[in-house]
Amino acid sequence: MKLKEVDRTAMQAWSPTQNHPIYLATGTSAQQLDATFSTSASLEIFELDLSDPSLDMKSCATFSSSHRYHKLIWGPHKMDPKGNVSGVLIAGGENGNIILYDPSKIIAGDKEVVIAQNDKHTGPVRALDVNIFQTNLVASGANESEIYIWDLNNFATPMTPGAKTQPPEDISCIAWNRQVQHILASASPSGRATVWDLRKNEPIIKVSDHSNRMHCSGLAWHPDVATQMVLASEDDRLPVVQMWDLRFASSPLRVLENHARGILAIAWSMADPELLLSCGKDAKILCSNPNTGEVLYELPTNTQWCFDIQWCPRNPAVLSAASFDGRISVYSIMGGSADGLRQKQADKLSSSFGNLDPFGTGQPLPPLQIPQQTAQHNIVLPLKKPPKWIRRPVGASFSFGGKLVTFENVKIQSQQGAEQQQQQHHVFISQVVTEKEFLSRSDQLQQVVQSQGFVSYCQKKIDASQTEFEKHVWSFLKVNFEDDSRGKYLELLGYRKEDLGKKIALALNKVDGPEVCIKEGKQESEFLPSAGGTFNISISGDIDGLITQALLTGNFESAVDLCLHDNRMADAIILAIAGGQELLAQTQKKYFAKSQSKITRLITAVVMKNWKEIVESCDLKNWREALAAVLTYAKPDEFSALCDLLGTRLESEGDSLLQTQACLCYICAGNVEKLVACWTKAQDGSNPLSLQDLIEKVVILRKAVQLTQAMDTNTVGVLLAEKMSQYANLLAAQGSIAAALAFLPENTNQPNIVQLRDRLCRAQGQPVPGQESPKIPYERQQLPKGRPGPMAGHTQMPRVPAQQYYPHGENPPPPGFIMHGNVNPNTATAQLPTSPGHMHTQVPPYPQPQRPQNGWNDPPALNRVPKKKKMPENFMPPVPITSPIMNPLGDPQSQMLPQQPSAPVPLSSQASFPQPHLAGGQTFHGIQQPLGQPGMPSSFSKPNIEGAPGAPIGNTIQHVQSLPTEKITKKPIPDEHLILKTTFEDLIQRCLSSATDPQTKRKLDDASKRLEFLYDKLREQTLSPTIINGLHSIARSIESRNYSEGLTIHTHIVSTSNFSETSAFMPVLKVVLTQANKLGV
Amino acid sequence: MVSVINTVDTSHEDMIHDAQMDYYGTRLATCSSDRSVKIFDVRNGGQILIADLRGHEGPVWQVAWAHPMYGNILASCSYDRKVIIWKEENGTWEKTHEHTGHDSSVNSVCWAPHDYGLILACGSSDGAISLLTYTGEGQWEVKKINNAHTIGCNAVSWAPAVVPGSLIDQPSGQKPNYIKKFASGGCDNLIKLWKEEEDGQWKEEQKLEAHSDWVRDVAWAPSIGLPTSTIASCSQDGRVFIWTCDDTSGNTWSPKLLHKFNDVVWHVSWSITANILAVSGGDNKVTLWKESVDGQWVCISDVNKGQGSVSASVTEGQQNEQ
Repeated sequence: MKLKEVDRTAMQAWSPTQNHPIYLATGTSAQQLDATFSTSASLEIFELDLSDPSLDMKSCATFSSSHRYHKLIWGPHKMDPKGNVSGVLIAGGENGNIILYDPSKIIAGDKEVVIAQNDKHTGPVRALDVNIFQTNLVASGANESEIYIWDLNNFATPMTPGAKTQPPEDISCIAWNRQVQHILASASPSGRATVWDLRKNEPIIKVSDHSNRMHCSGLAWHPDVATQMVLASEDDRLPVVQMWDLRFASSPLRVLENHARGILAIAWSMADPELLLSCGKDAKILCSNPNTGEVLYELPTNTQWCFDIQWCPRNPAVLSAASFDGRISVYSIMGGSADGLRQKQADKLSSSFGNLDPFGTGQPLPPLQIPQQTAQHNIVLPLKKPPKWIRRPVGASFSFGGKLVTFENVKIQSQQGAEQQQQQHHVFISQVVTEKEFLSRSDQLQQVVQSQGFVSYCQKKIDASQTEFEKHVWSFLKVNFEDDSRGKYLELLGYRKEDLGKKIALALNKVDGPEVCIKEGKQESEFLPSAGGTFNISISGDIDGLITQALLTGNFESAVDLCLHDNRMADAIILAIAGGQELLAQTQKKYFAKSQSKITRLITAVVMKNWKEIVESCDLKNWREALAAVLTYAKPDEFSALCDLLGTRLESEGDSLLQTQACLCYICAGNVEKLVACWTKAQDGSNPLSLQDLIEKVVILRKAVQLTQAMDTNTVGVLLAEKMSQYANLLAAQGSIAAALAFLPENTNQPNIVQLRDRLCRAQGQPVPGQESPKIPYERQQLPKGRPGPMAGHTQMPRVPAQQYYPHGENPPPPGFIMHGNVNPNTATAQLPTSPGHMHTQVPPYPQPQRPQNGWNDPPALNRVPKKKKMPENFMPPVPITSPIMNPLGDPQSQMLPQQPSAPVPLSSQASFPQPHLAGGQTFHGIQQPLGQPGMPSSFSKPNIEGAPGAPIGNTIQHVQSLPTEKITKKPIPDEHLILKTTFEDLIQRCLSSATDPQTKRKLDDASKRLEFLYDKLREQTLSPTIINGLHSIARSIESRNYSEGLTIHTHIVSTSNFSETSAFMPVLKVVLTQANKLGV
Repeated sequence: MVSVINTVDTSHEDMIHDAQMDYYGTRLATCSSDRSVKIFDVRNGGQILIADLRGHEGPVWQVAWAHPMYGNILASCSYDRKVIIWKEENGTWEKTHEHTGHDSSVNSVCWAPHDYGLILACGSSDGAISLLTYTGEGQWEVKKINNAHTIGCNAVSWAPAVVPGSLIDQPSGQKPNYIKKFASGGCDNLIKLWKEEEDGQWKEEQKLEAHSDWVRDVAWAPSIGLPTSTIASCSQDGRVFIWTCDDTSGNTWSPKLLHKFNDVVWHVSWSITANILAVSGGDNKVTLWKESVDGQWVCISDVNKGQGSVSASVTEGQQNEQ
């Protein structure tokens, strides 16, 4: 395909390989005149700009020369290593002269462009070549058998390669050997070629076929094989290219007879020894493989004789040809459509030549009478054989799981087209591991979670901490796993109970200090007087009297008012206490309104239990104090929210230092998502190790939250999910696919996570070969002719019955699955009836059976459950205290604490889920909690759940692990309390049916589940009568739809009861009541 | 560490030109100058020949796996000017489509991110890039960018699917408004970035100029959730550049020289997490590169016949606390 053209009758030389951009130098050729008969001459330099689609070449410089040229070459001598234009243009002139030009000066437009000139030769200098090993050496040939070797560093006196050959003849070609630097060959129209050894300074061999018909117009050494060269003949009677091997110089090795008339020029590609260009008087430009003689390519468009042809050294697919019609054309041998170019050319030509191109073929009528070949179509085929330079010999590509696929082909010396030696064609699949520390830390983390050694892990982290902050974070995390976590938090914040006690005792021994507030309680008890003696009840008209009267009539309110009025605060408060809760509260309010001391607000908050006030309005410098107060006083159901609030304030209002402290608040709050957000802000998360830092904390915190609170209603948050999947991705990229699966959040329908899980599962190689693989979390697209194939139906395509995709229901489970079962024999998942606790049709299915069932995030309790334990028919799935770490309580799986526990949720609710079948013919439900269900009666979850953060949780871990499995059957709820259950459940159902947004539904589901704690307490009859009565009152107010009354009663119960008794269910009840109130059901 | 876990004897009779694993890393596709494409099951260290696909009449340069949501589909391109799309049907691999729209060697094929549907970009020595879009019922729509790279396009690589503004899930059922882009490299020493206009036409968006010789390969780095786009390119000139674009409009790209090798660099490949670049050079050398904390690219491994050690200097001990 033609790329460019220049209308010049000229010799041509490409810039050397090193040069960028590529230039083409042209020098007006000698012995040719165009129609103007002009004898002026010029040297021009064009730039090959392939990004310009036009056929024009950009002329960079023109130098008017006094010479016309027989030969032009461009040597890399003294090439600027930066690749700027330089080197040297060497021209052979008409009168025995050789001229050296500086191309950079020509381009710069200098007038003095000639470096040196020498006219030692006789006659025209037709042959020039640069030694590729010593680029300062140039060989030249002229008439009278003259051959000179020029040293460009010392141009004045040339050398000769030896004695002139006799008889004297013109030298038409000269060429340095491409492998051996001191070997030179020359050839003459007489047909003889001579090989010179410069070390010996004599000709070492003469090559001739003695036919006398070889008129050498071209000579070229084999680029790779030192002893081989080709000679081209100009003679029409013998239009051949002869391939010679000097080891067998009596006759040519091969003769290429592809031209019909004499060959005018040849060029052997340095980039591919199998490509030899030749152009002849038959107007053809051919590209042949000199090693086989096969013609690989015929340049299509040429209608002219070409007298010079050159490969572009830098761009191996490009060649230029100078033709007698006064044009230099640049071609690509890679073929291709030139429609765009041609159109332009045609337009240009028809506008210039009018009707010379009446058919618009793009082929102008030739000015010379040479038979025209009309191009039938514009598609130019490429070389028959792919050139060497596009054959990629090596490759390395990454694939999933940190695998690297590599191959390399040993370079083959192509020896005269000999058979390739048999070689192994191997592809290597390698595992790339670059993050050793990351992996070992991840490994540690996994082990810790498996072994439950959280405390010592945290301690280790504390010891290893390099910053104070890091130490704090780990200390806070550690506290979660210890007794009296709130107390420990306080200690961490600098409030030690013992220390405080000492301080107070000290203060009391002295004169009353400023710490009045602290002393309050104690003083009261100490000074409570023992009533003795008689006293006078005055009913006079003064204040005392009035108070007395009011008291006598039981009118506490008035009495208090009077006391307040008289500024008798202590009296007022004492009286108010006697007057009941309401009055007390009022009185407190009034007192605080009057009182103005510095710590009043603190006291106010303590007494009014209004911690929100403190948290919202304290000076952020006092965040520790605020947190301490919250830790000491806040009720379990508001504790988290308060910590959160404080954290949020720190994050949004505080300076950068305080912002990071927000993390501590979030840790207290157990708010994983916010911890992630806060941490991410402060850290560069792209580094695997800093991600590891984060994940360690998150995993530990989640574990803590599960153990202590068991009431986090969040599912895996968006941000956390993203971080965890990023983490899993990193693990996978290091080849730790199993670990990646273990860390990947379980219960999220975020597509990227679901997809990653699917990918990880399959990457483990689990599907049976040839088996229709089960599910894939993508919406399926079908190609033609295909039946559904290995894809699974996505839930978004409910119209396709899922079963349709699984015709092979009898397929055995994937081996990986069985394997896992063996590893963890306690998880007889497949045999257990499980609750397909899922109403989320959005959750795409993934191959559940391939889940790593021995993952560390499996609940520890389960490991103790005997495998053979039969589940009672009406087995009720427990609350998922056992849920995997990434599976907070509010996750969709655990929402389905069924109202009718014995009936599994009908499959119709997830009809669009494919149902793979397992070996025993047991249906394995698409999404479920595979491990948590069996053998975990909900009643056992209870003790672990009731602890709000402040509550002592004891050795929760031991509790969990020592669960006796016998206690599976539950006692019935006493009849008289059954009404509570039915009422509450009914209410939740009503709310559920009228709630619209999924979040509310989730809350309600969760509530429904957590009320199980209440029912358990009812069963065990462990609740105090006051609470029971209160609950019944609530139930009654629910019956009467008076939810606000219910809420009031609720508040009363909470404020009057031991919170450890009620914390497991009262907050939930509140949620339900509030929702009911809101929804108005 | 780079350690060989499987050595697959492909039994190809000539040079191998490409080897690619499928989405899951369980199947290996190879192609060769012997005109064949082979598929191996390589799970668990095995090497079971699943298919020996014949259909090309010239050396096969590249293979590319489609995303599995479309089935098991492999595209191959060859010097014979053809692109063939193969598909597994009932366990048998068959030709499902043949694209003959190029006039010269087709050097590169790359599937678009699966989010866009089944779209294949093909770069050819005829200078054109064609885009095949599956429109259903066995039909493929062809769009062609003529004169994308004068005298030849050597490589195409799609930008990851990123929805402007959101990294997280989209409301389901609603087609996210993706901007489709890909990069190409060619014999004009250029890297070009192409963007699909609203009318469905492909338009040249950027020209990236830094190489002084043929661009042999381009690889758009997978998205890791950061706003930065990254492209690696390698060239005949021995240079490997890392191009980054931080601005959202995607118009300002700056190159950073990763290394200048002594020989042509044929291929660049990003790890899935986009933090390691594998560079394959003409001296049969494979090296792995990683960006250090200070933003310099450092060679962390020389891979020879699939084996290599990993230098720890860059990757470890540079924990960035607080």
